[in-house]
Amino acid sequence: MTFRRVLIGNRGEIAIRIARACREGGIESVAVYSEADEQSPHVRAADRAILIGPAPSSQSYLSMSAIIDAARSTACDAVHPGYGFLSENAAFARECERAGLVFVGPPADVIERMGSKIAARALMIAAGVPVVPGVTAEDQSDEGIRAAAERVGFPVLVKASAGGGGKGMRVVRDHDSAETLVSAARREAIAAFGDGTLYVERLIERPRHIEVQIFGDTHGNVVHLFERECSIQRRHQKVTEESPSPALTPAVRGAMEAAAVAAARAAHYVNAGTVEFLLEGTGDAARFYFLEMNARLQVEHPVTEAVAGVDLVRAQFTVAAGGRLPWTQEALTARGHAIECRVYAEDPADGFLPQAGPLLLYREPAGPGIRVDSGVVEGGTVSVHYDPLLAKLTVWAESRDHAVARAISALRAFPVLGIRTNVPFLIRLLNHPEIRAGRMHTRFIEEHASELLTPTDPPLEALAAAAVASTISRGFSASEAAPSALDPWGTIRGWGR
Amino acid sequence: MGRILLLRDARGEYRATIGEEARVSIDGVTIAATVWAPGEVRVGETGRAWVASSGDVRWVFLDGDVFETELQPEGRRRRVAAAHGSLSAPMPATVVRVEVSPGAAVRRGDTLVILEAMKMELPIRAAADGIIKAVHCKAGDLVQPGVALIDLE
Repeated sequence: MTFRRVLIGNRGEIAIRIARACREGGIESVAVYSEADEQSPHVRAADRAILIGPAPSSQSYLSMSAIIDAARSTACDAVHPGYGFLSENAAFARECERAGLVFVGPPADVIERMGSKIAARALMIAAGVPVVPGVTAEDQSDEGIRAAAERVGFPVLVKASAGGGGKGMRVVRDHDSAETLVSAARREAIAAFGDGTLYVERLIERPRHIEVQIFGDTHGNVVHLFERECSIQRRHQKVTEESPSPALTPAVRGAMEAAAVAAARAAHYVNAGTVEFLLEGTGDAARFYFLEMNARLQVEHPVTEAVAGVDLVRAQFTVAAGGRLPWTQEALTARGHAIECRVYAEDPADGFLPQAGPLLLYREPAGPGIRVDSGVVEGGTVSVHYDPLLAKLTVWAESRDHAVARAISALRAFPVLGIRTNVPFLIRLLNHPEIRAGRMHTRFIEEHASELLTPTDPPLEALAAAAVASTISRGFSASEAAPSALDPWGTIRGWGR
Repeated sequence: MGRILLLRDARGEYRATIGEEARVSIDGVTIAATVWAPGEVRVGETGRAWVASSGDVRWVFLDGDVFETELQPEGRRRRVAAAHGSLSAPMPATVVRVEVSPGAAVRRGDTLVILEAMKMELPIRAAADGIIKAVHCKAGDLVQPGVALIDLE
């Protein structure tokens, strides 16, 4: 059982990834695009493409009706949402079902349950999955909150129950400072949410972020596909991900995998998903706590594909069409080490500010164990409208040391010019002795910013190259050839779709 | 005597002399530099650099690092934007509004100019605290990437 034609409700690298899986699986694919993406590579990666609206996502990639209309008008039988945009929108999953389209992802009620932090936490506690220890005190007086903090044990995180975005949140390290900090948190909570109810959670300092890939089918099978460590983040977004995690001992890994499967079973999970944990401590004494469940395919899924030797998108189609998981738990093994580096159009020296502009030169590395998933081409433009992710470089090698060396080597052969990117930053990151040694935590970039961001003086070779670039005659420099002239679609507009 | 170019970045100025047989001298030190393929330059014995130009800005990728320098056109004296400030347009754009005038003190993150590109407003913010030294644009101007809009000291 399979699909005949699938609509890809996304853009960029993930839309191309999905289109490739469709082509390989003998499924026709339909891309959607906004006016800003008319020239984007994902439009050409699919068999057909439908214009769904103007540049702003709210009127295009986030428009449920535009995407469902596009799927209906092209007689699709399923919709793959990718990640981001509508991928974790329960209402969209329901609208798809109502329109007779299979949503390639978990059922709407599962998305809904996992979308609520409180509901997800309650479900995990019931399933015996460890969560960060904490209490909502019945006695909500300042004294009651202090008593709750004593019970949980300092340091604690006092959070607004209704909260989000760090508002009404305070780190409290001892009894003496609790008085002022609790009342400050309460004032902020009332101001921001109109609800001063406070919740006390144990503070986990410098945790690692480790997640387990899980996969369920409609026949009651659930498997895990090992872990990914994603501790290296900036602005709460992942920068590099790897598998296996250098932090897990076999005992802790086994316990985490079992907890992830228990979480997936408790949620009646179907299709690809991820259970995120915070890890505290080291060795066999390390403890992990449920953070959240991502009800979708993850950006970093190629890491798992590399170590487990599987195709997760293909399996998503199989399961969405009602088929069984292509693997049993016993048949799954992980081999070697994989690292993904997210190449972003951003300026690390300017607070990782997203960059937009022309890709005057863009050349991808290639070689054994090197995979690049990208959504851009040389001569194209990075638009201000969407996520600044340009490409994902995923390397695989037999050992972690070799994988780190391979990633650095590949990044040194990944020139992107015309806009600033984090490529030089990624190389420094991977070269850092702590990263080389596998010691990292979620605040690593923040704490090592100065070492990672020191500018380099231009070497003689770079200046000589700049001088020679100035003498290159027209047509012999990638930048001087008009980008559209390199690209037939730039001149033959609106043809073929 | 070959052709002389003046390159400049946030840290200083460099004088390049393009000589015979693909030899370039930078502030008196000579090195071989040959164009290998579109966008690719062989430098020294084994170096491989990628290059691109946008207006007067020269981009170089070498060993995983990126260097932005600005070419100072011969016989023309012009102020340049600091190579690491966001004081030029990231793409061709129209100036909607200039928020500052020369002499004004600004803080890092202050909006200096608002551009419009692809129907979106794009604020250009100060990359560091400083004093506005000069304003090179006005509302309605069509500006190109790499060209200084504001000089900040």
